[in-house]
Formats: sequence, C-alpha cells, structure tokens
Amino acid sequence: MLHLLGLEWKKIRYYRTFQVLVVLFIIALPGIMMIPKTFSSLPDEIISKDMFYMFPNGWKFFGYVGNWLAFFFLGFLAVISATTEYANKTLRQNIITGLSRRQFFSAKLSFIIAISLAATLYYTFVCLLFGFTHTETIYMSKVFQEADLIPRFFLMCLGYTSFGLLVGLLIRRTGIALFLYLSYVMIIELILRYPIHMRFFTNRSIHFYPMNAIEDLVPIDIPPFNQLADEFMDENNFSFFLTPTEAVITSSFYIGLFLLGSYLLLEKRDL
Amino acid sequence: MPVLKIENLTKRYGSLVAVNGLSLEVERGNIYGILGPNGSGKTTTLGMILGITHEDSGSYTWFEGQYGTNARRQIGALLETPNFYPYLTAEQNLEIVAHIKKVKEPKMQELLGLVNLAHRSQSLFRTYSFGMKQRLAIAAAMIGDPDVLIFDEPTNGLDPQGIAEVRETLQTIAARGKTIIMASHILDEVEKVCSHVAIIKNGNLLTTGPVGAIITNDISIEIAAENNEQLLDMLHKHLKINNVERGPQTFIIHIDEEVSTAAVNQLAFQNGFTLTHLAQRQKSLESEFLEITKDVN
Repeated sequence: MLHLLGLEWKKIRYYRTFQVLVVLFIIALPGIMMIPKTFSSLPDEIISKDMFYMFPNGWKFFGYVGNWLAFFFLGFLAVISATTEYANKTLRQNIITGLSRRQFFSAKLSFIIAISLAATLYYTFVCLLFGFTHTETIYMSKVFQEADLIPRFFLMCLGYTSFGLLVGLLIRRTGIALFLYLSYVMIIELILRYPIHMRFFTNRSIHFYPMNAIEDLVPIDIPPFNQLADEFMDENNFSFFLTPTEAVITSSFYIGLFLLGSYLLLEKRDL
Repeated sequence: MPVLKIENLTKRYGSLVAVNGLSLEVERGNIYGILGPNGSGKTTTLGMILGITHEDSGSYTWFEGQYGTNARRQIGALLETPNFYPYLTAEQNLEIVAHIKKVKEPKMQELLGLVNLAHRSQSLFRTYSFGMKQRLAIAAAMIGDPDVLIFDEPTNGLDPQGIAEVRETLQTIAARGKTIIMASHILDEVEKVCSHVAIIKNGNLLTTGPVGAIITNDISIEIAAENNEQLLDMLHKHLKINNVERGPQTFIIHIDEEVSTAAVNQLAFQNGFTLTHLAQRQKSLESEFLEITKDVN
C-alpha cells in the first residue's frame, strides 16, 4: 500500500492543479473563518466574535467550512486524479508497465485516504490553534467535547473523494466529470428525491441519500444557525439532520458502494 | 522454452470478430513479427496479452506461468502511442516506470543515451516532438532490462530519420539476445529485423514460422516486351507460372527456381519476342504477404 501511495505521490507532486488546490484548501479553511472578524455588527444571539473559534463550538464552525472545502477541493482532486489517467492514457500504460488493475485501484484508494487524512489533521490543527488563542478559560473537558467530529470529518472527506473517484473513473473526461460531480451533490440528488417521493425535503427518505448523509457527518446544528432545522423538526416530526450515528452508518455504506463501483469499473473495462 | 504461449485467443466487438481463435508460441530469443494490414487485430492481440483488453475466450501464458498472472513487470512494452505524464520531465516519467517495475537502480542516463535523449532528460514530456516521445517510450520499455520487449508499430508516424533511428535501436536491442515481439504492417521492417513471423488478417492467423520458411524458394522475374499480353500467353504455354503481378509497363512472374533468366530470354527470342526489360528479383516478404492475404476476405 505504501509502495502504491509513493507511486501516486510521484505522479501528482509536480502537477500544477494539485498544487493549487492544496494551497487553496490550506488558505481557505482559516481564511474563510477569519471573515466574521471583519463584521462591524453581529446578530444579538452571537455575543462575541470569539464564539466562532472557542472550544467546543469552533469544531463545528470549522467543520462546516471544511465540509464545503472538502466537497470542492478534495472532491475535485479525486475526480482529476482519475480523469487525467484516462486523458494521458497513463492508466493503460501503468497496467502495461506492470500494475495489476487491483493495484491501480489500491493506489487511488490510498491516495484519497491520504488526502482525507491530511485534510483531517489540518482541520484538527487549525481548530486547536484558533481554539487555544480565542478561548479565555480553557478546560480540557471543553477542548475535546466535540472532538468526535474529527473522525467524522475524515469520513466526510473520504465520502466526497470516493464519490469523486467513482465519477472520474465512470466519466473519464475531466470537464464533464467535474460538472457531474458538482451538479450531483448540489442539484441532481435533490431532483431525484422528487419523482421518487414527491418531496424534496419533507419525507424521511431524505436521510437515506448518500450526499445528504455525507454532508450531515459534519453539520452546523448549533444555535442560532439551526433555527430552520428546529422549525423543520416541529413541522415534519423528523429531524432535518441525521444523527451522527445514522450519518456514519449511511455514509460508510455508500463509501463502500462507491469504492466497490470504482473497483469493478477498473477491473471489468477494456482500457 | 516458450516465453509466450497463446491458445485460441478470441476477442469480439459486437458482431466484429477482432481476433479469431489465435494460437501461437514465441520461443526465447525470437524476434517475432506479427504482420498484418491495419485493423487486422495486431494491437487487440497485444492488448490482450498485456492485460488491458479482456479476451472473450482462449488464454495466454507468459514464461510458463513462473511469474504468476501478472508477468508484465518482466516485460517492456510500447503499445500504439507513447503514454506519459505531460507535466513531468522525461526522467521523472522514467522514475514512475521504474517505481511500478520495482527496479532499484534504473540506469536512467544510460537508457536515455541509448535512445539519444540524454540532452533532453530534464525537459517536460509535453515539449517533446513525436519522434522523441516514441524514443522515450522505447527507453521506458527497457527499464529493468526485461528479457521480453513488445513493440507495436514502433516506427509509425515517424519521419525517415526517426524510422532509421528506431530501427537501429531495435537491432541493437535484438543483438543483446532479447526476445522481441513486434507488430507491424510494414513488411520491410519485419523482413529486416525479425527471425519469425505470424501473418494475420481480419483476426485470423494465416501463416506462421521462421521468416526464411515463409519466403519460399521460387523466384520472381520482372519482364516486359512490346506486347505484354502475347508474351504472357506464350510464357504460360512453356513455363509453370505460379503467379503474375501486373505493373503498368512490366509484369512479374513467379516461377520455380530451376528456370534462369537466360532461359526465359532464350525462350522469348525463339518465339519472336524482343524483351525490353528482364530482371530477376529476390522474392520479398511483401509479395508473399500480398499473396497470402489476398485470398482471405
């Protein structure tokens, strides 16, 4: 596995798109979270700007921003790492040179695990850094009160990247694959719900859709931001967000499915 | 010991049978040419034995199975186009090949020198001309000093200088005692480089054997007179002609070896024909190839 990860590293380290996406992710996570610092006034419920960074809420705010960034940057990376291999015919060449199809899949899997892990470590680092510098009185029990978000953040990254990998391998063309990846998460999944259940949101079945579950691994369910979710719960008698356990189980199921699909595509197709 | 054994390999694309029950054996040290017109199934065959195309039926075995199902790390191959990462340098691309093949010390500079690319080893692959890309692919195929090399149309799309360079490189490799499997539609190439040949058309194996055995013993005589048709009629009466190739001014007759050009000249003279042209030709693989492939349709 490490041998294959080393191969992926050799392939991608000088790839400009990869470098740009990584740098953007590194800048954007703390960068976007700095925006509230520039606000001159805040809603009444938010007592201090520091509440965005304080333990334990910082985990949720950074997690929510990280959720969007992982969806864009990590997902893109996964899509591109698959489609460039088709565009340059290097998948074909890798197999001719001596990789088995299973090894090629393992290399891609180790790559998405590695970037998910790196993003999670960075998220942890940034949360701790901001937390310690913005919390007046630090209790260790508060510091890690929401730290179960860390493994969920990792699972979320793996969710987006495994889906990106599947879409990249399926579509093979970078532009169309990126478009499909974006539009599935943001539009198509929503639209799919309608013909099936005649509802976009107000049916409990929304809990069973893959991207909804992966998004809900790291939700922003803290007041005052979850007001809408609370109203939704009162109206429809079920929660807008999946519980963490539900989200973990549903996401893991779909991640398994995405990876199985990717593996089968590589194994069965003529290259 | 057979390096490669193919048994009844078949590949269909819908109703088209690209390769039809192909069987052949390549022995160690052979320079094995797979010869056939474009679209005859050469690349499909190589694709199957290199694991990128799934066979519909039949099987192949590399090295009598001693390296298991994935023997490709012991083989260097160039299939169709040279495929590399365009944003990496030649050397970085070769490092990836060495990484996949698990070759510890790949002798990169020596190989780049062999294909005449040492001075451009630090250039990005996308800045290469087609000929340079092709030569880099040959260098990549030789990483780890594999015993078996596979080249698919190695001189395709190259300019005359590039063709000469690639052929020279191939002969250098062959001289080292490697087994080479080469697909080509250029007969001259196969005739010059190969020891064995398999001729395929429309996915069917037409003939196979040592190049010397495929080139039969009969001779060709190129001949012309004022009236070619009458001359030909006369020759048919007196000689056992195996085949005739008609050209615009001359025609070529294929006859058994015993008949010399002098005898043909005498025969024509005795029958009142003045020959305007008479030359003996070494029968080439080309005419053999055309002869073999024209019957199958």
